[in-house]
Amino acid sequence: MRRFPSHRPIIGLTVVTVAAALGLTACGSSKSSSGSGTSAGGSKLIVIVTPSPDNVFFKAEQQAADAEAKRLGYTTLVLSHDDDPTKQSQAIDTAISRKAAAIILDNAGADSTVTALQKAGNAKIPSFLIDREINSTGVAKAQIVSNNSQGATLGAQEFAKDMGQSGEYFELTGKETDTNAGVRSKGYHSVLDQFPKMKMVAQQSANWDQTEALQKVQTMLQAHPNVKGIIAGNDTMALGAWAALQAAKKTNVIVTGFDGSPDVVSSVLKDGIKATVLQPAAKISQMAVDQADKYIKTGSTGQPEKQSVDCVLVNKDNAAKVSNFALGS
Amino acid sequence: MSTSTEPEAKGSAAAEPAAPADRVGSGTRLAMILLQGRTLIVLVALVIMFSLISSDYLTTSNLLLMSKHVSITALLAIGVTFVILTGGIDLSVGSISGLAGMISGGLLYEGLKLPGGDTVWFSTVMVIVIGILIGAAVGAINGLLVTKLKVAPFIATLGVLYAARGLADLRSKGGTFPNLAGTPARHNTGFNVLGGKSWIGVPVAIWIMIVVAALAIIVTTRTPFGRRVYAVGGNERAAELAGIRTSRIKIAVYIISGACAALAGLILTSELGAAYPDTATTYELNAIAAAVLGGTALAGGKGSIIGTLVGAFVIGFLSDGLVLVGVSSFWQLVVKGTVIVLAVVLEQTQERVKTRMTT
Amino acid sequence: MTEPTDPAETPIASRSGTPAASDAAGTPSTEPTALVAEEITKSYGGVHALRGVTFKARTGAVNVLVGENGAGKSTLMKILSGAEQPTGGRILLDGEPVEFPTPREALAHGIGIIHQELSLFPNLSVADNIFAGRELHNRAHLTSVAEQRRRARSALARLRQDIDPDTLVGDLPIGSQQLVEIARVLSQNVRILIMDEPTSALSNAEVDVLFEVMDDLREQNVTVIYISHKLEEFRRIGDYVTVLRDGALVAEASMDRTDTAWIVQQMVGRSQDSLFTRSASRTGDVLLAVENLSVPGKPTPLVDDVSFNVKAGEIVGIYGLMGAGRTELMEALIGMRHHTGTIQVDGRRAVDGRVSGRLALGLALVPEDRQRDGLVQALSVRANLLLSTLNTLTRHLLLSPARERRVATGQVKDLRIKVPGVDAQVTQLSGGNQQKVILGRALRTDPKVLLLDEPTRGIDIGAKTEIFRIMSDLADKGLGVLFVSSELAEVMGMSDRILVMARGRITADLPRGEATEEALVNASASTTVMKVSP
Repeated sequence: MRRFPSHRPIIGLTVVTVAAALGLTACGSSKSSSGSGTSAGGSKLIVIVTPSPDNVFFKAEQQAADAEAKRLGYTTLVLSHDDDPTKQSQAIDTAISRKAAAIILDNAGADSTVTALQKAGNAKIPSFLIDREINSTGVAKAQIVSNNSQGATLGAQEFAKDMGQSGEYFELTGKETDTNAGVRSKGYHSVLDQFPKMKMVAQQSANWDQTEALQKVQTMLQAHPNVKGIIAGNDTMALGAWAALQAAKKTNVIVTGFDGSPDVVSSVLKDGIKATVLQPAAKISQMAVDQADKYIKTGSTGQPEKQSVDCVLVNKDNAAKVSNFALGS
Repeated sequence: MSTSTEPEAKGSAAAEPAAPADRVGSGTRLAMILLQGRTLIVLVALVIMFSLISSDYLTTSNLLLMSKHVSITALLAIGVTFVILTGGIDLSVGSISGLAGMISGGLLYEGLKLPGGDTVWFSTVMVIVIGILIGAAVGAINGLLVTKLKVAPFIATLGVLYAARGLADLRSKGGTFPNLAGTPARHNTGFNVLGGKSWIGVPVAIWIMIVVAALAIIVTTRTPFGRRVYAVGGNERAAELAGIRTSRIKIAVYIISGACAALAGLILTSELGAAYPDTATTYELNAIAAAVLGGTALAGGKGSIIGTLVGAFVIGFLSDGLVLVGVSSFWQLVVKGTVIVLAVVLEQTQERVKTRMTT
Repeated sequence: MTEPTDPAETPIASRSGTPAASDAAGTPSTEPTALVAEEITKSYGGVHALRGVTFKARTGAVNVLVGENGAGKSTLMKILSGAEQPTGGRILLDGEPVEFPTPREALAHGIGIIHQELSLFPNLSVADNIFAGRELHNRAHLTSVAEQRRRARSALARLRQDIDPDTLVGDLPIGSQQLVEIARVLSQNVRILIMDEPTSALSNAEVDVLFEVMDDLREQNVTVIYISHKLEEFRRIGDYVTVLRDGALVAEASMDRTDTAWIVQQMVGRSQDSLFTRSASRTGDVLLAVENLSVPGKPTPLVDDVSFNVKAGEIVGIYGLMGAGRTELMEALIGMRHHTGTIQVDGRRAVDGRVSGRLALGLALVPEDRQRDGLVQALSVRANLLLSTLNTLTRHLLLSPARERRVATGQVKDLRIKVPGVDAQVTQLSGGNQQKVILGRALRTDPKVLLLDEPTRGIDIGAKTEIFRIMSDLADKGLGVLFVSSELAEVMGMSDRILVMARGRITADLPRGEATEEALVNASASTTVMKVSP
């Protein structure tokens, strides 16, 4: 039993570890940034709420919205809900208490979001949804999404073409509770099931996760060493699958992803992953902010509530022109 | 009655609460042996079952692959076993894996950027050492929280679980370090050896698991430190009174756990060829499950590294088998949970048989 | 040593301690008995805790039950209150045989018990505590708080206590808590109230209040069975006294026909030849010098400014009642408790507050509670024996099982520990042999002063003799031995010098020749401090 427990070592060690972890970063960063304007008025504040920026896609949509809002002279508050409806609701509460002029939201659940948005509506704060729809209309001023179904069709067509319309393939699906995972898988099969010689020999969910995709593909390869292609529900899983193929020295297997993330695009350029489907995340974010700006100034967006933006196929032909979820000209 | 020991002999025989094992019938003894090896039996049963369902299960390449996947869980579980043996728990290992992966990945990908604008690059070996030291340091924070600030281990390591994950996120502002190949000029190539290469046909990750497990077995069974770990978990007051510096032992086990977790994180990152902050999320649960499956008592003082290894193999071989035969991920969770609970029920049965034998 | 009492002075007492004899002792008066425990025996495995005890509780009287630790008082009370089942014998309530498979059953028959450690919920109110587990319900099956409050108030009023039923029990002084516990038991229509050492935590003023309450209960024809160690107290309140020793009833008498000396002799009365008697060895220099040692506690220090010394070759016994601070003193000496004051071992002053430092200095403790503080139950005899000295057994940083076994086997032989083998689980051993394992572990550290806290608690007479022999041998070899005991005969038989503790202080320091039973008992209840000159 120590007589006089000293707390000094723990404080010291904590400081050292935190410093070591952070100090190894270039510089401290703050995701929430106020622009030049004063936030006291509140009417010039746009609150941007997205899932965790761990995923480059969400990070891109977040940054594009942030940049566009600042370009139009707004201050911004950027929050993340990590796909947790409770956290999302808290973020909306924050927006209400800060008297935001508008909310840009990539929501955490098609059903669970409606109530939170009604709360914002009651506080006379307009909401503009990006990337994912909700199961209700009239609650948000706009719901701008990429056309997942059209994108999946594009990706599947390219995948079938690369496969020569025959052979065994795996499918990696996303989190089975996520609407987009289902829409994309359905879109893939609407194309692939038309080719009688193409055979799906294994289908597993890798929960959008890179490591899980890696390990599951490794195991699936044990049972099906002659697989010719892997079609993945998003790009992180495609990257995990590609790492498994590289380890197994099976880089001739055709891999197709979805999202158009920079890592996959650069892999496409290097003859790794064959193709991905670019979701115009940056474009959608800009559209949402522009419409929010118009709504604040005129009381109307001038557009229907539901808008869908077509996805673009990215393969070796156009990959060089893609940067940060946008296709240059 | 001043000298003779006879009354004592009589008294102790009469008061003897426990009978020597040789009085027990052979049938019960067989049951005991079967129950003691229960996890191993579960493992053998799994292998037989899956190899009947799929001819691809019991092949050298699949066994090596599954063992490679197991090595991650096993490394985490070995570290956690040290902590559980002292009567503690470590929930932070998954996050420590993620943090160590991000720190090392970042050093390989973009180096250490100094405030002045210069960038320092470390050799691959240094990067690995730094990653493991980060894990050990976070483990030391766990240990100090538990011993000096008297925070319950569950709470202390739960807090560190969140904090370490947050630090991992902060390292890249949420992003991924996509390329860890390094460049020869900076002497930081070859990181992929940990998770991606083989030596005499066996993946390096498996070798690492073998070496760490062998060290852990020696430490737990053949060193004063190992004995003290069991004593602290078995009866902390008695250990303290026997002159054991129980706080030191506890801090040490959290450091070991943190270092093992960091090593697992480095292997994961190396195998993937990319570092992202969510690496190894919720892996702590697999590690604890492996230890418990292997017969480690959550109350402390009872368990073995070998048992934990077998537990890790059960979990890994089960998960991979279910993927191999194409079971949906929802059912995989149900089956995994059922096997863990069943194994613990068997443990209880063993305790009951033991009690019946000794009374 | 204890001289046999002149039978003429003995009102009614059995000298032999056999069940037949005690039964033959008869009833001291013809008053009606509310409860008779007839020929009760109880054994745990091979240990006989009670050997055919016939105990009578007289109606509307305070029946005192006394005896040394381990005499069987608590076991008897557990049987009467339904917590344990007798191995043999029966219980008669108002002449009718009854059985109490559970405490609830005993309570239904009007028998309630108040334990030494209070079983109250400090986080709940007085009323909630009184009705805990049998809350009053209204028609909507909700607890009717108002009714509980009303009845709690009247239950307390019966004890002449004006305690607000809404007060949190944790906020009350300990004496009032005791009364709340009594109120709780009495509110369940209890006719027979068993009180196990109810005054051990109370101040003198609180004891007075309790005794007034007991007088009232007597008038309300409640039968009280009162267990106590405190001679002066139970002589004040008791009507009848029953003495247990080694699981047998040795005497019962009307209180007014006894005196203190008689009761003490009945309690201790073990014939001289059953105990090891120490022949003193030559003493040398002071090995352990303690000055002004205090252990803080609330409301009063657990150990209060204690100074004493132990010389080489000397066995010093510490006698005192439970809660006198003996264990706390031992724990402070070994570094398990925060303390002030100085400790010197063989001229070297203790600076390190940890156990490891004190071991290095030459102190070693065999703790009072073997199971809680001594053994690592999951480990083998070998591992337990060697736990303090692992570093002396390594070669190239590794332990050698063969070497461990050799060393452990040697120690097992030296101390004549009966084991199936050194790799056996330590829990397979009998209490006496477990104690020797812990003693062996302490001796392996080469102590200069050996501390033993109740070294013979819960072990059989043969093992006791063995432990005494070992203590004596160690003193002969020039070690200092300091041991705590609650048994008068033991402390008087084994010590060269006896310190008596009461309320954290040393109240007597008596050389072997001057230590009489009465002197020790009186000092153990004393509140005056005896300053010991070092």
